[in-house]
Amino acid sequence: MSKLEIKNLSFSYDGSNKVIDDISFSVEKGTFVSVLGHNGSGKSTLAKLIVGLLDKAGGQIFFNDVEITEKNLKDLQTKTSLIFQNPDNQFIGSTVEDDIAFGLENRCFPHDQMQAEVERFADSVNMLDHLKKEPINLSGGQKQRIALAGALILRPEILILDEATSMLDPKGKSTVRKVIDRIHKENKELTIISITHDIDEALLSDKVLILNKGKLVKEGKPQDILRDESALLEVKLDMPFVYKIEKELKEIGINSNAETIDQLVEDIWASK
Amino acid sequence: MSSMTFGRYSFRNTFIHNLDARNKIFLMLLFMVGIFFQFNMWSTALIMSGVYIVILLALMLISRVSLWSLIKSLGGLWMLVIFLMIIYIFVPTNNPKLPVAFTIGSLEVHWDAFCQAGYIVMRLILMISLTMILTSTTKPMDMTYAFEWYMTPLKPIRFPVHEIAMTLSIALRFIPTLLDETERIMKAQASRGVDFNHGGIFKRFGAIIALIIPLFVSALERSEELANAMIVRGYDPRAKRTRYRLLRFSWRDIIAFLFIGGIFAGIIVMFVFDRKNPIDIVEFFFHVKGF
Ligand SMILES: Nc1ncnc2c1ncn2[C@@H]1O[C@H](COP(=O)(O)OP(=O)(O)O)[C@@H](O)[C@H]1O
Ligand SMILES: [Mg+2]
Repeated sequence: MSKLEIKNLSFSYDGSNKVIDDISFSVEKGTFVSVLGHNGSGKSTLAKLIVGLLDKAGGQIFFNDVEITEKNLKDLQTKTSLIFQNPDNQFIGSTVEDDIAFGLENRCFPHDQMQAEVERFADSVNMLDHLKKEPINLSGGQKQRIALAGALILRPEILILDEATSMLDPKGKSTVRKVIDRIHKENKELTIISITHDIDEALLSDKVLILNKGKLVKEGKPQDILRDESALLEVKLDMPFVYKIEKELKEIGINSNAETIDQLVEDIWASK
Repeated sequence: MSSMTFGRYSFRNTFIHNLDARNKIFLMLLFMVGIFFQFNMWSTALIMSGVYIVILLALMLISRVSLWSLIKSLGGLWMLVIFLMIIYIFVPTNNPKLPVAFTIGSLEVHWDAFCQAGYIVMRLILMISLTMILTSTTKPMDMTYAFEWYMTPLKPIRFPVHEIAMTLSIALRFIPTLLDETERIMKAQASRGVDFNHGGIFKRFGAIIALIIPLFVSALERSEELANAMIVRGYDPRAKRTRYRLLRFSWRDIIAFLFIGGIFAGIIVMFVFDRKNPIDIVEFFFHVKGF
């Protein structure tokens, strides 16, 4: 049983140019999937199709093995969540607490339990001390963590991150990533689909999808896909840092198949 | 945009911050209506103005709104003051109560003109200050909730009360963001040689266009993304929703109500008294003649 299964999905904004072109893949429950592809390859469009912000032109979407139709679209929408790139444009409430509560209000969550729930999720993204703050007084990383809390408070089964850290400074990136890592570890049931430009981050995921011009060109384990430099270059992507170093090392006679920096360092030590 | 910081909500735990927004709006309007009662005698007007200013200062003190930032943001009013002065000087006063200040040709300018202009400006400043106290002590969200509450009677006739309130609260939420953006675009355009501060009217117009267009484009993009973010989090304007924030009438509101209500009653009493026997209070109490 898959959490999400996409079959022959296609979509076009103008009726002729296929922005999503016959894409099929599946995502298992509780996994972390990275979607790579250069700008304009259709990643955001794919995300919007999955959460039901756009209507597909063709193909099928299965959620928990049930095909999504117009009738049960709402079910899918209540169980998926999407975090966008720009921290400012998804901050709806006037303060942190109002924003986290926004989704709860829409779901008619009882008023007397809201406060506790908001505090709990603010805490889960390390923002409990900032409940009364306004967005203008928060950093980008803090706003993205609030967006995470606002999404997770609705208990989604699939969380999609559409370049959620790409507009942040290095510090913001790392705080948000740490929170995402922790959420993934604590929440074994939650499936995360992360659209990213960061190939090193993709290396740590369970599965990688590479999009190019609306087509799915690669799908598989990062260890298998991300070593193929020429294939990556074809879709204008870089190799992960570790693999690049390994390639350079090979030229001076040090062989390593390490997947992490730590492992690589050990291999280098061992070769001495 | 430091001049815009006054009037922006800032979180503090004061008596006025904790008032119910509905009550605050009502009391502010009541006080404003009171301020606009016109008195016959300048001395009464003067005394009442003093009373209003004392009350305003007290309100600012209680709400911990800084006087300095108020003065800074009122700085732009001097044009209006001069404008009003000119109008009142050249429009003859009917039944003046004060002596002639000077004459221009055959036109006699009475001190009344200055009093009238000063009186108007003072009331304007009071109104602006009161509004600013309201906005800097009330969360935008609470303000829109209050607005929605006052408009509830219009719901049965399908007036989009909730939609307007939501639009309003988002607009308020985005003002600082867009101000920052304006500043950023101005800097970016300035670095490309656009001059916002010099040049003739056409050049300035061009500079404004160079600001407005990117600002507009970015605002449109933002609104699209924001709409998507709201839908993803389950927002449906027509659906029933619960509320995180509830407006509550507390003992503070009763005190505030009695206080401003009392002042309003006092103004009415003074007004009736002033109409019925227009005596010069200053002369009557302090035996100072000629005002
Ligand atoms: N709202 C839209 N209307 C028309 N075309 C769009 C719209 N959004 C995206 N596109 C086009 O669809 C293609 C894929 O865009 P997108 O999904 O945003 O790519 P990515 O997220 O991978 O950068 C691009 O060519 C883009 O110009
Ligand atoms: Mg995108």
